[in-house]
Amino acid sequence: MTMEEYNSGDEVVFSADEASISVKECIEGVIGGTDYNQSKVNQWTASIVEHSLTHLVKQGRPFKYIVNCSIMQKSGAGLHTANSCYWDTATDGSCTVRWENRTMYCVVSVFAVAVAL
Amino acid sequence: MRGMDEYHNGNEGSFSSEEADSVVKECIESVVGGDDYSQSQVNKWTASIVERCLTQLIKQGKPYKYIVTCAVMQKTGAGLHTANSCYWDTAVDGSCTVRWENRTMYCVVSVFAVAIA
Repeated sequence: MTMEEYNSGDEVVFSADEASISVKECIEGVIGGTDYNQSKVNQWTASIVEHSLTHLVKQGRPFKYIVNCSIMQKSGAGLHTANSCYWDTATDGSCTVRWENRTMYCVVSVFAVAVAL
Repeated sequence: MRGMDEYHNGNEGSFSSEEADSVVKECIESVVGGDDYSQSQVNKWTASIVERCLTQLIKQGKPYKYIVTCAVMQKTGAGLHTANSCYWDTAVDGSCTVRWENRTMYCVVSVFAVAIA
């Protein structure tokens, strides 16, 4: 939030903690308190990625973003995910948020790729 | 792999979804083709799939940063929904998603390619 003060020279680093907080709020805002619902889940995943992306872009940092969201019904099935990135580890970054309630799991990943200025 | 090298003029190096699609399908097949879902192996599988895909993509030598994600889910009737949204330069950046399944599991792999200025 006070990152604007760091506008000196080359301060362009992705903050995974800030992004995590932002994403958690988006998830809660869309599905907090609801039960898994097959007819709504497509709307939910779309809303979560859109809201998360909007928040990130509002931060006005020189990054391109990819936001990924998966929602799975809790039924005992196994779900495993992995990701691998080929980029500039000095400036690019990601964060993954895992959220759950009684009836579903939600996993959101944000990938931020620095834009050369 | 095919005739894309012939197009080596100026803007060569745009992301080809079709090429990425075939690369990803081959990587999935080589890692889990013919296997049944196995809880003890699935972490290894997702890691291998993303690593292989990334390696093959980098070998193409195009000026891109890549993010590869992979989700493997046991088939039990549970619902799984994923969505992603990207904030980038639509002229040069691109993605592709491959959905694969066999009798006992689903595998969804997404590749995001972000052009390096």
